[in-house]
Amino acid sequence: MLPATTLIVAFASAGLVYLAGKVHARLRDLLAVLSSLVLVGLIGLGYGAWGELVYVPDFLGVELVLRLNLLAWFFAITVAAVVSLSTIFSLTYMRRKPSATFHYSTTLAVEGAMLGIVFAGDLLSFFIFWEIMSWSAYLLISCNRGRALDAGLKYIIMSLVGSCAMLIGLLAVYAGLGVLRIPLVAEGMQAASPGFVLLVLLTFGLAFGIKSAMVPLHTWLPDAHSEAASPFSAVLSGVLIKMGIYGFVLLMYAVVGLKLLLGLGSGWLSFHHVLCWLGAITVVIPTFIAVLQTDAKRLLAWSSIGQIGYIILGISFGTPLAFAGAIFHALNHAICKGLLFLAVGAVEHNTGGVRNLNDLGGLAKRMPVTFACALVAGLGLIGIPLTSGFVPKWLIYRTLIEEGHPFLALAALIGTWGAILYVYKLLHNIFLGQLPEKHNEVRCSPPSMRIPLLLFGLAILVFGVAPGIPLRAVQGIGATFGFAQLKVTLWGLASEAGALNMLNICFAIVIAFTAVFLLMRLGAKGPRVSQEDSYAAGSAVPVGRYSYTVDFYSPLSHMIAPYLKDRVDQFYYWLAARGREIADLTRRMYTGYAGTYVLYIVSFLALLIFLQLVWQIW
Amino acid sequence: MVTRIIQLVLSPVIALVVAVLFLGLSRKIVARIHRRYGPPIYQPIIDVIRLMTQHSISHGALFELGVVFALAGSLVTVLFIPLGGTNAPPGSYPLAHGLLCPLSSSGGLLVVIYLMLFSPISIALGAGASANPNASIGVSRKMLLALAYELPFLLVILAIMSHYGTISIAEIVSRQQDSAWGVFSVPLAAVAAFLILPAMVGIRPFDVVGAPQEIASGPLVEYGGRYLALLTVQSGVHLFIVIALFVDLFLGGGVNVVTFLLKMFAVFLAAELVSAVLPRVRIENALKFCWTWPTGLALAQMIITVVSR
Amino acid sequence: MDRSQLAKWLKNPAEMANKYSLHAVYFCTGCGIIEIPPVITTRWDAERFGIKAVATPRQGNLFMITGYVSLKTLKAIIRTYEQMPDPKYTVAFGSCPINGGMYWDSYNTIKHLDKYIPVDGWIAGCMPRPEAVFIGVTHLWTLIDKGKADGYIRYRKNYAAYRRNQEMLFGDLGWPPLHPSESPAEEASV
Repeated sequence: MLPATTLIVAFASAGLVYLAGKVHARLRDLLAVLSSLVLVGLIGLGYGAWGELVYVPDFLGVELVLRLNLLAWFFAITVAAVVSLSTIFSLTYMRRKPSATFHYSTTLAVEGAMLGIVFAGDLLSFFIFWEIMSWSAYLLISCNRGRALDAGLKYIIMSLVGSCAMLIGLLAVYAGLGVLRIPLVAEGMQAASPGFVLLVLLTFGLAFGIKSAMVPLHTWLPDAHSEAASPFSAVLSGVLIKMGIYGFVLLMYAVVGLKLLLGLGSGWLSFHHVLCWLGAITVVIPTFIAVLQTDAKRLLAWSSIGQIGYIILGISFGTPLAFAGAIFHALNHAICKGLLFLAVGAVEHNTGGVRNLNDLGGLAKRMPVTFACALVAGLGLIGIPLTSGFVPKWLIYRTLIEEGHPFLALAALIGTWGAILYVYKLLHNIFLGQLPEKHNEVRCSPPSMRIPLLLFGLAILVFGVAPGIPLRAVQGIGATFGFAQLKVTLWGLASEAGALNMLNICFAIVIAFTAVFLLMRLGAKGPRVSQEDSYAAGSAVPVGRYSYTVDFYSPLSHMIAPYLKDRVDQFYYWLAARGREIADLTRRMYTGYAGTYVLYIVSFLALLIFLQLVWQIW
Repeated sequence: MVTRIIQLVLSPVIALVVAVLFLGLSRKIVARIHRRYGPPIYQPIIDVIRLMTQHSISHGALFELGVVFALAGSLVTVLFIPLGGTNAPPGSYPLAHGLLCPLSSSGGLLVVIYLMLFSPISIALGAGASANPNASIGVSRKMLLALAYELPFLLVILAIMSHYGTISIAEIVSRQQDSAWGVFSVPLAAVAAFLILPAMVGIRPFDVVGAPQEIASGPLVEYGGRYLALLTVQSGVHLFIVIALFVDLFLGGGVNVVTFLLKMFAVFLAAELVSAVLPRVRIENALKFCWTWPTGLALAQMIITVVSR
Repeated sequence: MDRSQLAKWLKNPAEMANKYSLHAVYFCTGCGIIEIPPVITTRWDAERFGIKAVATPRQGNLFMITGYVSLKTLKAIIRTYEQMPDPKYTVAFGSCPINGGMYWDSYNTIKHLDKYIPVDGWIAGCMPRPEAVFIGVTHLWTLIDKGKADGYIRYRKNYAAYRRNQEMLFGDLGWPPLHPSESPAEEASV
């Protein structure tokens, strides 16, 4: 049975890799890469299969189930692909680092936990694997020590709050409906009261919102993703936060169901409408905070929060186009963000740990493949036609406009422009401009770092020109949840009310490009010059001091920075400080003076006697 | 099929010819307002030919590809915009012909907005490859100016799409030809669009991107020879695209190409008359302006549209 | 445009375009630059002739040296001239670039500009009036027609000599040679 096999392979290889690491580094590397590729192959072979498996018949009175369906397969293949490419990348990145064994084995454990989450057929298995994923991710985030410890602590505390909320929801479901298998829970929900449904949605929603970093539950993400090691940041941003999205989809469509979801609440104050607006805010504000960042990984982390907003907006909107766009964008963002984190990791590795955007520049000359792939990923994140980011965004915009929600569409479109700003800032400050002297000796990355980048880039372009390939799978998932059929072709959509044909656009661009290229060749050719032969008002280029990277969007930063402080983060720290104060007050109970303790005992006895005398309780 | 191919060739050719004509006309109009003679109208053709004969330097593959993609992107965008003609049954208007829009059924206004992103991003990448801080400052200003006009522009587009209930430009044009032009049915959006038209095109008062006196032509600082020739043509085609969109969305397109081009000329003349007498504003002031008046008007229009449906 | 011009355009469009589209690099040398704004503004409209001012040498093909050339300015002039793309034309205004003019015995000015960069035409005066500038431009057109405005070709052919003169003044120029010569013998002989 496919889910059971993959889980066994994942967890077993985690253990084996750890043991192999004690024996020999090469053996460990080989084993890690091999097991992640085997997982990709296994899951790939399972396309279109369905089934359920009871793997523990009686656990505290509940049976634990694994199941396989199209939704689970889609997320599983994304998880496996991103983790395998990240592992291949780690071959060079993690070489000669002391924590390499730990990194490989824990990454495989995280992958196993994520596969367990998507293959879980009942809520208790879901919860168990969710917890395993949370703390193994915590261990990996804090691996680097220093600031990573604080980042990890913030992450695990918020994650635990979410897990407690999920546990409350789980217990409520068990107490109210008596079953935990997802199809049976879905049946039970249809007959339950709206208040009960709302309780379940809110408690589980809190957990999923924290994991998928929805505003206002996002504050752990910038620190955690920027302080983790780059290959694991790719996994974190790529697939870990998609587990929150998977949870939302499972909850809202598999458990509660489309009709019940849309009927919950009325008019503007319905659950899905509030979630839409939270998604819209998540698109706009973190995107512009990303524009202001100077640390490459922090910029990418804030950008992840922004893109997740699109996905939440799509899945909570409730139309077939929005759902298809959101799930496709989950795949697209996993690929693009994974690639960008790996590219920044490659730059960090080759320059000896530099990731401050103010210190880099001109690396396209030394790392052309990394630059080309980062460019494709950046364009995919923006949503340029011919990349895989265009179709999901087009779907979401179209449905928002056609259903008459122009303000949500405005939020989504402004998010695209914010994305253009920060993607260009990232690419320019790292790869374009003048190459500083201290980075003159930077060498190109080795093949094991370039292969994952190239494979990701290829996927972006292929899914961009032929979006039908992922759209068919997404369409199938939508059909299982009761959405209307979309007419999906290999090149796009073929509906009457506005079709999309990527092949036409692709041909047009290719022909136009060829025509203009030939036209350019007609002109007179000139010599190639180096960066020292640049316009500098008649003097020689002042080497090392001739680039514009600091404060790249300074007019905008000065205007909007006061409005974009992370007040939610400040609020949480304020809450933590008040909690510490309360705990401090409670501590004062222990005075160390025996007389106070005698006073406590005597006054308590006096209280008991008083109660007995007045109300005769006993 | 044959009509399709004719349209596919004719649209870019019309765009190129009119683009070069508009570039020359702009210099002539500004000159006449300055009470001088100005260059001949075909001066841009002379400039482009001269630039093609100059052996200008290149900073690498990305430097050259940026230019090629910019012009290619602009030409592809032209294919998605109706350039006159009507879908009404033959005979309802005199001298009308079928809609001149080769790829009208492949995505609509949303695709046009996205294809219009090709040229700024390509020029930005090419300018970044020229390794000159003037170019980087210019590109930073270009991105910020684009953000400045995008907010009101998106509000305008969304107001129109909500008002007509469709994302297809051809549909919007035919609805205007049946009832009233956009300037009368969504007037505030039309005014907002006209206010940001100079910013979208890059003429005064919003020509801060290629400020010759401040940042040595901004992104174009290292471009010369054949690259500058293509970029000059691209700026003309971009001007064409923006004005064609304005005419399609607010002035009801045109029943044939000639009417369409006449309407375009009227809008162009109005924009040039405004541009000739205004100075250049700083990028901060451009941001503040675009985010107050045009945004306010477009927001008001969108609220009116949403409420009145 | 009349019919004879049309024939010339069709025969040699490159040459005609180079004549009627002279974009001047807005490089303000010396005191003569005060005469250029009147030339390019409304009263003596130079745009009729196709002349426009551009900010960066990469986009220009006309270089106007408008006045005396001090040592500091000469370095910038050489760099700017070398950054302009071929074909390019240099016009020297006033008497200072010709023979030193008013500053014939100064320690800080260049007496013969032609030794350091090639000059295609001179316009006499101290400073020439805008009308003289236009007559100079039309003479430059005639020179381009006859093929005599070949400063950039002379620069390439005799680059070693020009570079030697430049290095005699400045020592280390700060940028590598524009036209590295193919054989050391060529450099020695010129």
